[in-house]
Amino acid sequence: MSLNYPAPIQRLIVQLKSLPGVGPRSAERMALWLLSAGRERGGLLADALRAIETEVVMCEDCGFYNEAGQACLLCSNDKRQRHIVCVVEQAADVLRLERSRAYQGQYHVLGGKLSPLDNVTPEDLRMDSLERRVAELPASEVILALGSDVEGEATANYIADLVRPLGVAVTKLAQGMPAGGGLDHVDELTLHHALQGRRAMS
Amino acid sequence: MLSEIEVRDFRCFAHQRLELHPQMTVLVGRNAQGKTSLLEAACVLLRLQSPRTSVRTDLIRFDSSTLMVEGRWNGVSLRCGMSDSRRRLAIDGTICGKSSDYLERSGLVVWMDHSDMNLLRGTSEHRRRYLDFAASQIEPGYLEALQGYQRALRSRNYILKRDATVQWRQVDAYGQLMAGFHQTLVLHREQLVRALKPKMGEVMSRLSFATEEVGIEYLPACSAEGLMDALTRHRAEEERSRTTYTGAHRDDFALSINGRNAEAFASEGQQRSISIALKIGQARVLDEARSMAPLLLVDDVFGELDPSRRRALLSGLPLGTQSIFTTTHLDWAGELGEGCQIVAVEKGEARAKILKRV
Repeated sequence: MSLNYPAPIQRLIVQLKSLPGVGPRSAERMALWLLSAGRERGGLLADALRAIETEVVMCEDCGFYNEAGQACLLCSNDKRQRHIVCVVEQAADVLRLERSRAYQGQYHVLGGKLSPLDNVTPEDLRMDSLERRVAELPASEVILALGSDVEGEATANYIADLVRPLGVAVTKLAQGMPAGGGLDHVDELTLHHALQGRRAMS
Repeated sequence: MLSEIEVRDFRCFAHQRLELHPQMTVLVGRNAQGKTSLLEAACVLLRLQSPRTSVRTDLIRFDSSTLMVEGRWNGVSLRCGMSDSRRRLAIDGTICGKSSDYLERSGLVVWMDHSDMNLLRGTSEHRRRYLDFAASQIEPGYLEALQGYQRALRSRNYILKRDATVQWRQVDAYGQLMAGFHQTLVLHREQLVRALKPKMGEVMSRLSFATEEVGIEYLPACSAEGLMDALTRHRAEEERSRTTYTGAHRDDFALSINGRNAEAFASEGQQRSISIALKIGQARVLDEARSMAPLLLVDDVFGELDPSRRRALLSGLPLGTQSIFTTTHLDWAGELGEGCQIVAVEKGEARAKILKRV
């Protein structure tokens, strides 16, 4: 039998390896580093992990995260417009849009995108709650801020068909020129979209 | 122009560097010595794909995990490294993250070999691949549209098969997506065939010394704008077959000679001529569309043509076309004029030695 780490370390490596972006070698390095850094370091990590389980909840309306027992900072904010809903793939996209300060409406986090080949169906995403919310708010516009890859576009098409019967306008983020740059750094496909979506000068 | 090519762990070659003649290089050697592999390396370097295989690991030498092809096209140095899971590209020594940027800077390729006869006799898949290979070299957005289309089609077919009762809303989400890509593909394929037609006619008249009229007609499975409509109309059909009924993946083109179907009515020799006309026509269309002469890679077929056809083929090429040929015998070398280099390729170790440089 070949020599291996004791079982607890092996279990830790398996757990670390299952995280996105971590391969077997990184997982091994992290595990050994945690061992050498002493008990308290590992304890801090364990505490943090336990805390996200007990102290964080997902808002049932928008799908963003809150501390347990507190109202959702997005949904309960009276200053935000209630007739626009912006649909995004994941919670990180909410923060990205917020940093732009260009948007003051409601959000809806889907938690992924349709991908039949990876077995992600509408039931796995927060589609039902989107339909319900659009009717309850009631919203007059749904903005689709999803990726422009094949899965993102297909998800956008699906949602558009889903909410259009509710009588709302469905819009999509524009694609085109990056801010503050010349034509030289733009690839052809983006330029193609930018040309198609050109606007009259006022 | 491809002035030199260097390969490492590519097929049977451990390491090989080869300078290429600006006009014509002939690779001569017995069978299974690696001639075609060098030709293939040039195609991989310029277009990042091989006409012989779509499996990357086929290209990597046994007992090796990565291959490298390097070369110089019109003064720009290109490098392409591949392992079974990764591909790394560089232009002038700088890493190039997007293959579309790389392809934009790299050269144009026309590939000829025995399987060209399949353009007449084979299934429509051969003809679509011909259109795709040419159109993606002309139009930067074509390849992206093609890949997007194929991805959406796979998903759509999967959803059609997955459930006992078809979830049409999900199917349509992908159908709409396909419709956009479909439009791009059909418009460019249409343009390409329209440009090909007169060029093929010219090449054909050189090849046959007669007034044989060759025709090519694009047969789209569905009009450019009409995919979504057509799919909606054929729901019942799709429910039964559980596969996407129509679209760019069912396109084809028809070839004719003197107004008659070429597959059924053209003689063996005429079919050979038409397949050559398709390839030389492609070279001319590429040259005109991109204002850059392509690299012509000819595997084996050249030596088997009769002398008059060989002359016609060469004279039909766009000005400044560089070509690389492989052959097992040099009986026809006497016909070669100036501006040619002959290289012997021998045994997997492949020591290419220059026999003659005019």
